Amino acid sequence: MGLSVSDRGKAVATFRYVHVELMETLAQWTPTSPEMEVKLMLGEHIWDAAQNADALGKRTRELRLPLQHGLKPVDAYVHLLQEIRQERDTSRRLSGFYDAILPGLDARYHAYLEQTDALLDAPTVRILEQVRNTSARMIRQSRELRAELPTLGKIDYGWIEAMKKRESRIPTLVS
Amino acid sequence: MDRGNEEAGISDPHARILDGSRILHAFDASLFAPGPARDGRFAVKERWIECSNFPVGHPEQVVQFLHRQMNEEVDSLESSARNLSDFPDEDWEVRMYLARQCADEARHARMFRRLFEKRGGTVGQYPVLNFQYRIITQFDSLAARLAIQNRSFEAGGLDAITVSIEQARKDGDFELAELYEAQIADEITHVRFANEWIRKLGEKNPANLLRIAQAMEIASKAFAAVMGKEGTEGVNYPADKQGRLEAGFTREEVEITANPMSHT
Repeated sequence: MGLSVSDRGKAVATFRYVHVELMETLAQWTPTSPEMEVKLMLGEHIWDAAQNADALGKRTRELRLPLQHGLKPVDAYVHLLQEIRQERDTSRRLSGFYDAILPGLDARYHAYLEQTDALLDAPTVRILEQVRNTSARMIRQSRELRAELPTLGKIDYGWIEAMKKRESRIPTLVS
Repeated sequence: MDRGNEEAGISDPHARILDGSRILHAFDASLFAPGPARDGRFAVKERWIECSNFPVGHPEQVVQFLHRQMNEEVDSLESSARNLSDFPDEDWEVRMYLARQCADEARHARMFRRLFEKRGGTVGQYPVLNFQYRIITQFDSLAARLAIQNRSFEAGGLDAITVSIEQARKDGDFELAELYEAQIADEITHVRFANEWIRKLGEKNPANLLRIAQAMEIASKAFAAVMGKEGTEGVNYPADKQGRLEAGFTREEVEITANPMSHT
């Protein structure tokens, strides 16, 4: 059996919360990251994250929850987001966000799309397809930027692998 | 006291001597927040007089101006971003406008960079000021920040850009005129949502109006400290009436701006 309306509403509201958090993280990093090219990319991606959150927040209303409703994810995921948000080093910020969080979310959206009924839940499917396209562009842009600015390519591979593992070990975001 | 200052007879321990003659006294720290981070290419200054201010007609004037504009757009991006991270409980609608403003200001910085690099400039070639960010982000009220950033700095920019479009066309610099036209369309949107939200925030909590008035007074003092007489004398643009109306100012407000003597 697929997802109920209530299940879908909770999932979408949780995704919405995550995208608001992502928007705020990028916003917090913009004045405190020294590299101008990084600031400019973050500025563009703040708007991408906001549009994702907005689309998900409109969908919550259609799933019998309040408009722009957000649900806090499970504690483990909240802590992971907080930890990455508190990073001060630009390379770690970028790899944590674009190599761990966004690909991890993409896998979760893929899992949701596999699970939901594409006809009954078609509006959510459309939104998540759009979110996945946007995220793929954001990841691509971050890789291009890191290739352009070699100082940002000095990645602490041990740290990023640990972040990816932590992300993937969280079975579901919905609390 | 600095030995050079002592020799020059300056008692202010934080003062500096510029160009061997002019005395620069320290800023009043209460007028400014800490500045944003900049990478090693940039020399960040505090006052207009410490920057490269080439006169019109100088071969580097346009490139230097475009470089300055790029950094000011980065300042606007950083200020808008701070509005998002500092006020998480504000209405989602105004947060969407702020998020869009971040993307617009980032795009403007890229536009200015593209043009000055095309004309031989390099990032960090000239000193920069971060006074906008340092003035705006010291206030803990979104209404006050919108009043200073969007309704004052950006609205003043509408007047300046309109004049600059005409000048660029007269000079045959259509590439620059096109850049300004794209920029002003975006800035009008930023001023418009600020006008709309300042009214809403004032209605929601009338104390916001008092916060705006207090912030404007401090911002005005801070701006004067940065620019000095040198940076403001003779700089006066006629109000862009059409642009200001599109940006949500009332006809009365536009007339007051257009005729500064009419309300004295």
